[in-house]
Amino acid sequence: MKHFSEAELLETYYTQPGESMPVMMHLSNCHECAVRYERLEQKLRQAASCNTDKPATFWSRQRLQIMRRVNAQQVHAATAARTLRVAAAAILAFFLGGALVYETVRPAPQPAPVVRVAPVTVAAPGPAANDNIHDAWQSDELKDFHNVVEWEAWVPESKANTNGGSSL
Amino acid sequence: MNPISESAATDSELIARTLGGDGNAYGILVDRFQRKIYRVAYAIVRDDVEADTITQDTFVQAYTHLARFQGRSELETWLTRIAINRSRDWLRRRKLVSLFSHDDESDERQYVIEPVDERPDAERQLMAHQLRAAITRAERLLSSQQKIIFRLRHYEHHSLEEIAELLGLQSGTVRAHLFRAIHKVRRELAEWVTMREVNPDETL
Repeated sequence: MKHFSEAELLETYYTQPGESMPVMMHLSNCHECAVRYERLEQKLRQAASCNTDKPATFWSRQRLQIMRRVNAQQVHAATAARTLRVAAAAILAFFLGGALVYETVRPAPQPAPVVRVAPVTVAAPGPAANDNIHDAWQSDELKDFHNVVEWEAWVPESKANTNGGSSL
Repeated sequence: MNPISESAATDSELIARTLGGDGNAYGILVDRFQRKIYRVAYAIVRDDVEADTITQDTFVQAYTHLARFQGRSELETWLTRIAINRSRDWLRRRKLVSLFSHDDESDERQYVIEPVDERPDAERQLMAHQLRAAITRAERLLSSQQKIIFRLRHYEHHSLEEIAELLGLQSGTVRAHLFRAIHKVRRELAEWVTMREVNPDETL
């Protein structure tokens, strides 16, 4: 019967013993290996055991230190929050104050300079427009002759016909 | 509230009270878990002072982020994870420091063989001490992750599933890490093992 080496038993110990089925089956049949494995297990457990059993004073001191640090952190957090609030308030006050000062010292709004722009006249068709146009036939000088022209034009039609159709 | 009802309060109740501003409630939680957290930290860092510091840091950090604890896992598991992460950080820092300084005093001091007294179990104690020293020497070859897994298995006797949950890894990944770690440890322990095989009469 092949016995397992110490190294193999060591590996069995560290991995899940239940998973090393060939080894475990062998151990159940081989008394010698079973005893060796038991000793190895005992030794490793003994080597692994460490004295973490501290006196009660150690734990109370540790707890006290933890709570002290926690409280310090609480105070620190509260201080930080207060500082943040103060800083925010200061920034707000700065901007509000700035806005207020600006409103106070801001020069009164000057009336906008009146720019007189010559009205653009669009020549509308009509008599007014015609007045500006120098028409030789509508001049004042011709008005003096208007009655004469009108008189000459007022000639009876019968006379006009006898004169060969000519009004003049 | 009287001490009996306080000690009987569940973790959830104590968390709720802590978040409500009751400082005593957190003190009860610290008292409930500090030994376990210290043991895990010590198992990984193998240093009294550092284990104490890591335990304190764990509880302070947990207090800071207590509002984020959603209760998907047990508080104990959550605290243990924080402690493991802090221990891992410490291992990495120490490794980094040891690259620049050859200060291995903390490891070496474990190799010093203490005087054997004349009590009947003195030889057994000496052998246990030698084995412990050999394991410590072997652990030097392990990576941080391997070391954490190996130590949680070796010193805390956690199952692979428990280690996987604590580290947030798949069980198969933990198994693979542990196998590699064991092979390295086996090589290192070969001499010690051979000596035992040569003298089978000696109790292991």
